Amino acid sequence: MARILVIEDDAATATEIAACLTAGGFEPELRFDGESGLEAATEGGFDAITLDRMLPGCDGLEVLRRLREAACEAPVLMLSALGDVDARVTGLRAGGDDYMVKPFAPDELVARLEVILRRHRQAVRPELRLKVADLELDLVRREAERGGRRIELLPMEFKLLEFMMRNAGQTLSRRIIFEQVWEYYFDPGTNLIDVHVGRLRRKIDVGDAKALFRTERGVGYLLNAD
Amino acid sequence: MQIRALLRTATFRLSALYALIFALALVSLLGLVYLRSAVYLTQRVDGILATEASALSASPPSEVEQRIEEALTLDGKKNNVFALFSRSGEVLAGNLAAIPPELRADGPSVEIGPTAAFAAPARLIARRLASGEVLVVGRDVDQLQEMRGIIASALIWSGGAVILAGLACGVAFSVSPLRRLRVLQDACAEIAAGDLTRRLPISGRRDELDMFAATVNYTMGEVERLMGEVKGATETIAHDLRTPLTRARAQLHRLQQSGVPEQAPEIARVTAELDEVLERFRALMRITELESRERQAGFVRTDLADLVAGVAELYAPLAEESGVAFDWTAPRAVRVDADPKLMFEAVSNLVDNAIKFTGAKFAGANASDQQGRVTLRLTAAPGRPRIEVEDNGPGIPPPERSAVLQRFYRGERDRMILGSGLGLSIASAIVRLHRFELELADAGPGLKAAIVCGPAPY
Repeated sequence: MARILVIEDDAATATEIAACLTAGGFEPELRFDGESGLEAATEGGFDAITLDRMLPGCDGLEVLRRLREAACEAPVLMLSALGDVDARVTGLRAGGDDYMVKPFAPDELVARLEVILRRHRQAVRPELRLKVADLELDLVRREAERGGRRIELLPMEFKLLEFMMRNAGQTLSRRIIFEQVWEYYFDPGTNLIDVHVGRLRRKIDVGDAKALFRTERGVGYLLNAD
Repeated sequence: MQIRALLRTATFRLSALYALIFALALVSLLGLVYLRSAVYLTQRVDGILATEASALSASPPSEVEQRIEEALTLDGKKNNVFALFSRSGEVLAGNLAAIPPELRADGPSVEIGPTAAFAAPARLIARRLASGEVLVVGRDVDQLQEMRGIIASALIWSGGAVILAGLACGVAFSVSPLRRLRVLQDACAEIAAGDLTRRLPISGRRDELDMFAATVNYTMGEVERLMGEVKGATETIAHDLRTPLTRARAQLHRLQQSGVPEQAPEIARVTAELDEVLERFRALMRITELESRERQAGFVRTDLADLVAGVAELYAPLAEESGVAFDWTAPRAVRVDADPKLMFEAVSNLVDNAIKFTGAKFAGANASDQQGRVTLRLTAAPGRPRIEVEDNGPGIPPPERSAVLQRFYRGERDRMILGSGLGLSIASAIVRLHRFELELADAGPGLKAAIVCGPAPY
């Protein structure tokens, strides 16, 4: 079970975050200010950290900078009530792995943590080939294959499939997909991502092969791991 | 400062008009003086001539010649003409060689130029004597003519000087108000560009410009206060409602996971509607962020051709699925200073809107000429590249075009389509942030939206 350090000054919000992390299968630990958060983080043993952007006495960005200086490599999800356009950029530039604006849906928080945790693990052990059921993706030759059948993919489709395969089994909201694959941070509209995922799905789930794509109503998409 | 602008000022025109009226008055005054004095002097000369002629003609005919000789001797200054001519016109005595042709005996007096016998201009009268001889009496009018010349030149010079002085005063008086007007103009331009805190400078002279500036400043204060209130209300509403709505959405999600399967479709529908409200709030907050954002932050040299290609790649599949023919052109690299992510968002919003509305208009149409069409193109006019998105959808009626760019506006056409969001308002906010221009025009039928990527000319 992944251990998550939650650095959040507002007690009510902290409890809420802890509750949804527990429900999402994580083991949360709370710290209420920058200093003690930094102390806990440098002691190690955490798989990921959620960090509030605004902390009393010490800015979240400052905490992040000192964490990275202290060679703490755990992935960090920044949480902020600031919706500023530049806040995300500065947060990511300072070494954050993802950035979420409050308020957020609990499943969105869990999904984003899963995504950054997985990316972090993969960064430690880079893979050359991804495999989900009988679907295989060669990251070196940039080729996709299902049950021995070659699948022609456009560059963006390849990127989308890679992201979904790396996060197989995880429900991914349209917004996460748009941010992580296209790297844009605006509302992509209701069906733009549906169309892109739909096209990819029609290339992968062909004929009577077992369907790998699954639509989670009102939430997003999932690539079946089993 | 331009001379033309100077000549157009009210102060200059007024000064020039005053100068003209003053010059006219001066000319009429001097003209009157001239006329009155000239007429008076002429009449006096004529009177003297008549008296002298009468005195001479009254003397006996045999003595006339002698009297003339005496009078000429007495006239030491050589100011007078006295002459006697025979019936046949030959001179018998005096200082005139011949009778000038225009001079009639017993007629009115005439003026002649200098002659060989009398070296000055003179005024003459002629009388026929009882003997039939003709007596001519005259007087030098050189002084009279000199005086006329003096008055005429005084008229020309003084009139010209007054007009010139008036024009000079006009220019001098206009420069300072014009300079103040320029300052006011610049301040207004800054306000129009979005700086609502800017105020017009007040000189403290309490003149009409100050009064005007004070009125504008008062109005701007009210506008700023109201804008602040609206913005504050938007932010508070969006922020305060977002938290409980997000919680409600999470609870619905949990219900869907653990609840009765029959209720799942209904829960999904409610969730979708909540999502729409949340997206709308997010868009409102986003516009607020964009409006309050420091300009030029995050601007880099951006290739618009790349950007357009990226948007086309992202939206082509959506157009195809919506049954809309989509094509795009971007001739070559066109670079401007911009925030690439925001510009991508603005163009995406325009394309998204075009596809959505055009697709909805032609949904269900089968005939080949009944097809939706969206064109995205980049044109590189010198200095002002344009990104155009043209469709043959429902379009926007002209009165609504500026309203759709505002954040709370929902036009007639939006009501048919779910999730139309605030795309155009966001695009408009991004374009304003760049100091570019967003133009909405009729594509007949359809809408032609263009982002003009260059500084707007004043």
